[in-house]
Amino acid sequence: MRRLLHSFAVRTALGLAATVLMLALLGAGWGWLRAEEALSQQLDLILRAEAEGLIRDYQRMGGAALLDAARVSARRDGLLQVLVQTADGVPLAGQLPGAPAALLGYATLSPAGEAPMRALGAMLPGGINLVVAARLSAVRAAARALVWTPLLTALGAGAVALLLGFGAARALERRLARVSDVAGAVTGGDLTRRLPLSGRGDEFDRLVATVNTMLARLEALVTAQRQVTDDIAHDLRKPLQRLRQELEDAHGAGAPVPDGALAELDGVLNTFAALLRIARAEAGATDRTPLDLSALVSRVAEAYAPVADEAGRGFEIAVTPGQIMQGDAALLQRMLANVLDNALSHGAGTIRVGLEPGPVLTVDDDGPGVPPAERDAVLRRFVRLDHSRTTPGTGLGLALVAASVQAHGGALTLGASPTGGLRVRIDFSDAFVTIGPGDLS
Amino acid sequence: MRILVIEDDRATADYIARGLVQEGQVAEVARDGKDGLVRALSGPFDVIVTDRMLPGPDGLSIVRALRSSGITTPVLVLTALDAVERRVEGLDAGADDYLAKPFAFTELYARIRALARRPAAAVPAHAELRVGDLRMDLLARTVHRGVRPIELLPTEWRLLETFMRHPDQVLTRTMLLERVWGFMFDPTTNVVDVHVSRLRRKLEVPGETPVLKTLRGAGYMLVRT
Repeated sequence: MRRLLHSFAVRTALGLAATVLMLALLGAGWGWLRAEEALSQQLDLILRAEAEGLIRDYQRMGGAALLDAARVSARRDGLLQVLVQTADGVPLAGQLPGAPAALLGYATLSPAGEAPMRALGAMLPGGINLVVAARLSAVRAAARALVWTPLLTALGAGAVALLLGFGAARALERRLARVSDVAGAVTGGDLTRRLPLSGRGDEFDRLVATVNTMLARLEALVTAQRQVTDDIAHDLRKPLQRLRQELEDAHGAGAPVPDGALAELDGVLNTFAALLRIARAEAGATDRTPLDLSALVSRVAEAYAPVADEAGRGFEIAVTPGQIMQGDAALLQRMLANVLDNALSHGAGTIRVGLEPGPVLTVDDDGPGVPPAERDAVLRRFVRLDHSRTTPGTGLGLALVAASVQAHGGALTLGASPTGGLRVRIDFSDAFVTIGPGDLS
Repeated sequence: MRILVIEDDRATADYIARGLVQEGQVAEVARDGKDGLVRALSGPFDVIVTDRMLPGPDGLSIVRALRSSGITTPVLVLTALDAVERRVEGLDAGADDYLAKPFAFTELYARIRALARRPAAAVPAHAELRVGDLRMDLLARTVHRGVRPIELLPTEWRLLETFMRHPDQVLTRTMLLERVWGFMFDPTTNVVDVHVSRLRRKLEVPGETPVLKTLRGAGYMLVRT
């Protein structure tokens, strides 16, 4: 429900309908006032015409005609009521509850318990007061009838606005969702994806065309960068390979090869390979096959357990079975191995490997940890903390971990373990695709 | 052994060929894909080593062509690219092993020997593996050295089984990582050394002849006693 209210479509439709209804209500109110005013004026004219007719009859035929007219009107109980009374307010013929004495001109009467009336009074020679009146309820009923029409129309218009607004906004949302999907896929490394054109040539198509041009440019740049990386890999590795071969040959032939020359060269080649792997992982070029993360973590951890044991360190594994995700098994193995290598060489005490549903992988140790200010830095390439400069390592291990986690859409956080050591937490719950156990072939 | 090396880089091809000859093997070198494919199709070889990127048909095309002609000679593909990313692709094409450049000759040679000795009929037909006085019963899951029973953890079991399927053969660290743990990479930490030395402590109690040899810079070998 919350999500529904947050949807652009629902908000737009509700907003449109509310606006239409509000406008219609204002219009109807104004119409009601105008209609009542016009009808009242008309009623006043009718009263005046009737009064003038009665006065003419009186002048021509005398008081008896006037009294007759008043009596007839009282019996008929029509729209108009006629009252003839003395100047003191003593009724002579007809009746009009609440009529004041000696009424002259227009007045609105509101007798208790009776419908309000509009009245016109005139003084005739001989102290006779003629009052002609009509019930205002008729006018109000007419005004109300006039007002219902715009109100009903407004309700209909509101409903239509709700539907149309929802439909239009949903269509827009769907197009935006496609943009979002494609952007997500591109972020995930599939640079070949493009947005579909609707072919209508509208402003949306123009935006799509611009975004597609941008994506094409991005793809060209990344492809070029990858090409350069591959070329460097190929072109630099060949001479290094030859150098290695010659050193090995010379060594085999008994020539004096400095101790450690081959090892140094292998170190350079390893650093080089690690940089290339980081670049590949950052480019998102990973496999997405369903894999059992629980089994993968257990296997890597079990391989390291005796190593920790030999180093006099504790090693605990707590893996929730059946955690499935899509990913690149080789990259994930290497990622965990790098985290464990790091815990072995820079941490201290017991290493605890945990995998919880999510899946969330944690590796804790009891070592000195990493100060909060340096946690981002150690994930960068070639960054090594001062106290670890003397231990072997390329300074690329955690950078590859960060790149691998990113390539899988996971989240990597360095924090403090319960014992104050380093906690490496890798959360794959928002990974690009997590799937059910049934999907694992 | 007769080994065909298909490699366009002259220095690398010579390095491999020279190494093989020094080991007493017969090496034949093809400098491009076309020549390599013709030779591979015509002559019987024990193992074929081919570069992945070649002028003419590339390494994977050669493997596919061989396999579709019914030639099952083991093929090892060399690549300048990272083995991890391209390995599956290579194995899918029908290659038997994959090795990333740069490599040490000992690593290449160990793999060539492992490929050449790959038994024609898979061992699982036997319920027991025997190397010297070591006996591994695959069904009862027991190991004996002579009459002495040996208790093994699952990883140690897989490690010993790998050694017993390749007796008298050098197995390098990367080969063991691939075969025993399924790791396609080389951890900084000496995982293999630790596991091997633990296994060795169980296989060789004081007074017994050593069976698990360490070959410096190369790897390990289980020898018949």
